[in-house]
Amino acid sequence: MGTVLALAAFGICILLLAVYGYKVSAKTAEDYMLAGRGIGIAVMFFFALFAISSVWTFYAYPSILYRHGPGFVYFIWGCVAGFVMLYMFIGPRLWAVCRMNRFLSPVEALAARYKSPGLRLVASIVLLGSIIPYIADQSLGVGLGLEAILGFPPVAGIVYISLLLVVIVLLGGMRITAWVNVVLGLLYTVAFLGSLIYVVARVFPNGLSEAVSVLRSQAPALLTTPGPAAIFRPAATSIVFVVGMLAFSWPHVIIGTMTAQDKTIFKWMPGLALVVAGMLFYTIPFLWGAVVAPAISHMPGSLVPPVSGKEADGIVQMIITSYLPPWFSTFVLMGVIAAAISTAAVQLMTASIVVARDIIHGLFWPRSGDRFLIRTTKFSVIGILAASMGIAYWYPVELAQYLVGIAIPGFAQWAPCLVGGILWKRATREGALVGLVAGTIYLIVGFVHRPVLLGLHPAIPTLLVNVCLFLITSLLTDPPDERVIRVFFDEVEDFLSKKA
Amino acid sequence: MREILSHRPGRVFVLVLFLAVVGLFAMTPFFHNPITLWGWVSLPFASGIVFLAVWLIAYLIYFFKYWPFR
Repeated sequence: MGTVLALAAFGICILLLAVYGYKVSAKTAEDYMLAGRGIGIAVMFFFALFAISSVWTFYAYPSILYRHGPGFVYFIWGCVAGFVMLYMFIGPRLWAVCRMNRFLSPVEALAARYKSPGLRLVASIVLLGSIIPYIADQSLGVGLGLEAILGFPPVAGIVYISLLLVVIVLLGGMRITAWVNVVLGLLYTVAFLGSLIYVVARVFPNGLSEAVSVLRSQAPALLTTPGPAAIFRPAATSIVFVVGMLAFSWPHVIIGTMTAQDKTIFKWMPGLALVVAGMLFYTIPFLWGAVVAPAISHMPGSLVPPVSGKEADGIVQMIITSYLPPWFSTFVLMGVIAAAISTAAVQLMTASIVVARDIIHGLFWPRSGDRFLIRTTKFSVIGILAASMGIAYWYPVELAQYLVGIAIPGFAQWAPCLVGGILWKRATREGALVGLVAGTIYLIVGFVHRPVLLGLHPAIPTLLVNVCLFLITSLLTDPPDERVIRVFFDEVEDFLSKKA
Repeated sequence: MREILSHRPGRVFVLVLFLAVVGLFAMTPFFHNPITLWGWVSLPFASGIVFLAVWLIAYLIYFFKYWPFR
């Protein structure tokens, strides 16, 4: 009963935050969708960090390490590198061109770059098809957390988190989503780090070395690659890094660059990402999944014996519930909810902007005003959330696969036309369309008939085909006209060269 | 990226980042050894930290001294 009351109070606090956000926000489309392009460096860093770090980081990532050993940490190194590359190489130019031309979505910028409404529609559909399952991942994670602590069916957590998300995004828009990310992200970090320290202090009084000693004697394969299931051989580990590196193409991360206040953000973000995210924050789930959780499961007399498959998705929560006091379990569940909201709210905003700005406004009602745009974005939020709830309830694969197996290969398909459009003058509409469509069709065929993926991760062969067709077709077709080059390259360089 | 590749310090910077990735890949065959540093740091984790440190040093030098848009 205490847990239920605590969660109710927590939900009310979040709702009050959303109401406050509604009061202080301007009522323009730019403010609702991109926080008025006024996010400074401190908020931006936590906004971006906790947009990436989600329930997946709390439950799914430790679950893979727990089952397969430390090889999967290469995915995180890849993610950090991809995130840093976005802010170093692509972000400044995308931010500048969107700011100068008042683009409200990255897809809109691409459509203008390639002068192609068709590309706008295809890219929107591909991104929506990839991001909705990832939103489902967040609500399902909360559902599993509630199940582990209170024995409720997962649907209870799915409904609870979805209600909170609706209110935050409908009332607050991107500005309050960013602020919620900062507040909830800090709660998430305290819960995650606190639970790790608490469990180690209680179960392994001599520290992490003691946990490693347990693993060395009971399950040595979990300390090395390729791991117990022989998955992470050297080539596979390197490929996992490349898949992680595709983080630069995640739309909810890219849209964050468009909210930046000024260009100095792009100078500071890579350093913060490398130190605070790469070296500090992501160490927490690594230690949970690669050292502490497997050591507890494999030690003699464990309260949480080894689990596998989907059951392992809840291993962190099971250990916390079994070894720590009930009040602390409740606190950690709040951390999980914070993690889910901080990511899902940005994803929901991004997906709704794509639906409203790029599909409804861009293709069907281009002359409509700000009020129409905000209203359609809000209606889109409800539709997207309903779809994600359905997928979360379905729960077809383990949590980790929603991101690694479904969302990333889909996001990867727009990476060539995005990077090419921003950095390569010779990139053409035909090249972008052929690459995007061919890569997406290959991906869909690969989901239905796995052998066509040649035993590789779905993102790899499909992206290779996409890139090759994009490059070849672009070189074989007429170059973009002078106006496109001026708007997307010359003016951008002039703008970025000025003092901040 | 275009501005980075358009001058020599930028090209050196990108080369350093690339070589760090190659180095990270080159470490993977050694991960079958159950070696841990300080009793708990496994090799895949330690390799990643070194990789990030190389990127960090390269970034600090380039972005604060040479980046054309600084």
